[in-house]
Amino acid sequence: MAQLAPSAVTRAERRLALARLAVVAFLVATPALGRPKNLDRSLDRSTEHGVFRVAVRSERAPVPLFRIHQWSLRITDPAGQPISGAAVAIDGGMPEHGHGLPTAPRAMAAEAAGDYVISGVKFSMPGWWVLKLAVRAADGRSDTVTFNLVL
Amino acid sequence: MRAARAAAAVFVLALGSSAAATPIWTAEELATLRALSPSAMPRAPADPSNRVADEPAARDLGRKLFFDARLSANGKVSCASCHQPGRGFTDGLPVGRGVAEGSRRTMPITAAVHSPWQFWDGRADSLWAQALGPVENPAEHGFTRTQVAHALATNYHQSYRRVFGRSPPDPAGLPRRASPFGDTEARAAWTRMATADRQAVNTAFADFGKAIAAYERTLTMRPGRFDRYVASLDGKASAKPALTPDEIAGLRVFIGKGQCVNCHNGPLFSNGGFANTGVPARFGHPADVGRRDGAGKAAADPFNCRGAFSDAPPGGCEELEFAVLEGPELLGAFKVPSLRGVAGRAPYMHAGQLASLDAILDHYDRPPPAATGHSELKPLGLTPLERRQVIAFLQTLDEDAVMAAPRRSR
Repeated sequence: MAQLAPSAVTRAERRLALARLAVVAFLVATPALGRPKNLDRSLDRSTEHGVFRVAVRSERAPVPLFRIHQWSLRITDPAGQPISGAAVAIDGGMPEHGHGLPTAPRAMAAEAAGDYVISGVKFSMPGWWVLKLAVRAADGRSDTVTFNLVL
Repeated sequence: MRAARAAAAVFVLALGSSAAATPIWTAEELATLRALSPSAMPRAPADPSNRVADEPAARDLGRKLFFDARLSANGKVSCASCHQPGRGFTDGLPVGRGVAEGSRRTMPITAAVHSPWQFWDGRADSLWAQALGPVENPAEHGFTRTQVAHALATNYHQSYRRVFGRSPPDPAGLPRRASPFGDTEARAAWTRMATADRQAVNTAFADFGKAIAAYERTLTMRPGRFDRYVASLDGKASAKPALTPDEIAGLRVFIGKGQCVNCHNGPLFSNGGFANTGVPARFGHPADVGRRDGAGKAAADPFNCRGAFSDAPPGGCEELEFAVLEGPELLGAFKVPSLRGVAGRAPYMHAGQLASLDAILDHYDRPPPAATGHSELKPLGLTPLERRQVIAFLQTLDEDAVMAAPRRSR
């Protein structure tokens, strides 16, 4: 390992210390610890392994706080053919705070093919929330998708 | 080098803003502050399970019942014995004391209507279901539901009839003391009662709770100094700053480094949920499992929103229908209390384990391992100054926020 001149070490350390201070200052000044900068907030996207395309939408705009409400859900295959009869499990929470959803929402089929309604959704504070859907089609294909919401 | 200089500039900016008397809040911080202000407070949510929830006559009857000490085993305990209007509807004791010593801290009632779950473990899903519990608790009123039916018939016949459109059950045919939860004698008497009589007593008992709930729904908070500060940020200002620099610095820690706002958010400074914050067990007692048992109790309560005594239409019990009833996060979790008026409500936590706001800040800054389950807390690394500033800020939630004592009438 190459030896650094004492002055170089000092300079490097000073730079590092300044950078650390800046990071600390940034974290202190920003309540949102750990939120990725390039958070994908798209509500219509492919599932993790590309098995389905899933779109969600709150039936109330803006998304209400502290109130139970419904979301609509549409599931198709990548070619846009509706997927009916799927079982959908819903999970989620606030990644920055390490807690889950305050309620246990459930998805049920709606009238049109590929359409579903998610009931029992509630958000208990502003901030970054995730909604994770695990979709299992009647033919056994399954995949998951995570939506990011910033309320 | 340029990066380091830019970083240093950010740091100076941050330092400057936390020390200044009139800090510049970011748009996100401003949104958080506005969400804490009572202007963000929705109206009291409707309670479809209680058809008299907003009836003035029910409210008047409920107020009388709330202050009536005859509704207890020793004739000395009313709801107001523990929920004292002059003390923010609590009692200043580590655990409540009715006819005997209870096991949990008396909760404040003001604005409780906004919470979907009542009690520290959320074992009741409405104000009226909550009001029934203490009456038959042997440590609180030590009463029975047939005694309540007798009292309604004897002392409140007319006002009961006015509110509910029928008379309370005829006491002549009812045992004096009978309840499914009482002592051996009371339980035996309950078993001997005819099904129709039990049904009539249960209905009157539920009505009793609904009248008290109608009164409790009127106990609302009033804005205080913190709220005037938030209003001033939106230009609805008085010339004089509503908060001192230390209080503002404390607010900054509250919504930032201290992460208090993660749970204590919204106009009541509570998200209405449950959290395990690693509060030590009550001295000399085993750890309390909290919400783990409360969730199931609420779902099984015959007086819940889905029960036979509820006025809710089918599908009108969404909180219960979509409640999280199991999961590891329920173990040792307790209701996130409102911080409105917090400085006047020592001691703190579900059994008064922490005596002062200083002890609270110490607990959150250097959290111990959970007494049971898993604590959500992580060390905060607050400086002594920051701790003092947070306490200074919490005291700004007091002014005007505690209700004036309501008129007492019989």
